[in-house]
Amino acid sequence: MTTTELCNLLEIEYPVLQGGMAWIADAPLAAAVSNAGGLGLIAAGVSSAEYVSEQIKEARRLTDKPFGVNIMLMSRNAEAIAELVAKEKVAVVTTGAGSPSPYIKLWIDAGIKVIPVVASTGLAKMAQRWGATAVIAEGSESGGHIGETSTMALVPQVCDAISLPVIAAGGIADGRGIAAALMLGAAGVQVGTRFLVAHECSVHQNYKDKIIKAKDIDTVATGKRLGHPIRSLKTPFSRELYSKEYDSNISNQELEALGKGALKLAAEEGDLQQGLFMAGQIAGLIKEEQSAQAIIETLMSEAQATLSRAASWAN
Amino acid sequence: MLEKITSILREFKGDDSLVVTEETTFEELGIDSLDSVELVMSIEDEFDITIEMSADTQSIGDLIKSIDAA
Ligand SMILES: Cc1cc2nc3c(=O)[nH]c(=O)nc-3n(C[C@H](O)[C@H](O)[C@H](O)COP(=O)(O)O)c2cc1C
Repeated sequence: MTTTELCNLLEIEYPVLQGGMAWIADAPLAAAVSNAGGLGLIAAGVSSAEYVSEQIKEARRLTDKPFGVNIMLMSRNAEAIAELVAKEKVAVVTTGAGSPSPYIKLWIDAGIKVIPVVASTGLAKMAQRWGATAVIAEGSESGGHIGETSTMALVPQVCDAISLPVIAAGGIADGRGIAAALMLGAAGVQVGTRFLVAHECSVHQNYKDKIIKAKDIDTVATGKRLGHPIRSLKTPFSRELYSKEYDSNISNQELEALGKGALKLAAEEGDLQQGLFMAGQIAGLIKEEQSAQAIIETLMSEAQATLSRAASWAN
Repeated sequence: MLEKITSILREFKGDDSLVVTEETTFEELGIDSLDSVELVMSIEDEFDITIEMSADTQSIGDLIKSIDAA
């Protein structure tokens, strides 16, 4: 069996985190992943603290295993949610889209394991200094908000920059990806796109169909001009966003307004015209809908096979 | 000091004609919380120090104070 120090640290069976996904990763998905031996995460996104509070209750009803909450720091509810998770003493908090420095002490004091998502060695070093438990090094292959550096280049550099366990994210959707991440120095992985097609994932069926259909070259990064690029599937809408980025007649405000609410439309209504279907470059590898448990079991048995084979290459 | 910070900022923003004063805020420079972490890392490397950054560090003047305190 493939176990790493991350399993002990987070009290999980397999070193696999299900990435927080705004509007999508709710209690049923997180609990299914945790029940299957990984670590499920509820995404707070831009939702209210009340919503997150209900989801935590629901997840506790569905599983007695540890799970976490992902907090999107750009949200105006971030502070209220930061206080809520401290009060609820959830097992793990991951943070995205910003610097978690104002809250880390509060969470650590509450006994919470704090794992910021980082896209650079700079933020990784700061996270270590602030007292984080581990970091998620997320490469630009990922779906959703992305940095500049690819997983292959980012993970070993982050591993060298800090002494905390590093979790690799971005472009991992099978056991080969897990094995590769461990070879780069990671202690575990975070998987987003593949869990979009989990049976327990509440995302609209159109979304799942698009992931299954996607090929390797079917994603695009938009929003670079606004300083926070987002990777999503190529659709008429994302192509329009992309071309408007290079249109100087369109102001940044207009561009920002265009993308607002588009992920929610895709996730909840499967809106093929105005929805933004965030997904990673690895979508092309994903061929079928499965239960969270089947996904994790497949990932881990493939990883085990790949890692065992690897040993035979060195002699 | 201001000169050195200006040159780091010019590099950081890719703008060779950037001018800042102690009153200039990070917000005015379009530097968000993530960018400021990268900026502090560059400054730490340049001056070979460790800087304490807090939510109160909002202007170039604040930054100079935390460099002096390091
Ligand atoms: C639809 C979607 C929404 C996402 N939303 C968030 C989010 O709210 N917060 C966050 O930290 N990461 C978010 N992510 C990133 C994932 O948590 C994860 O790091 C990423 O998907 C990993 O790369 P992969 O898609 O190649 O597996 C999102 C990803 C997707 C695909």
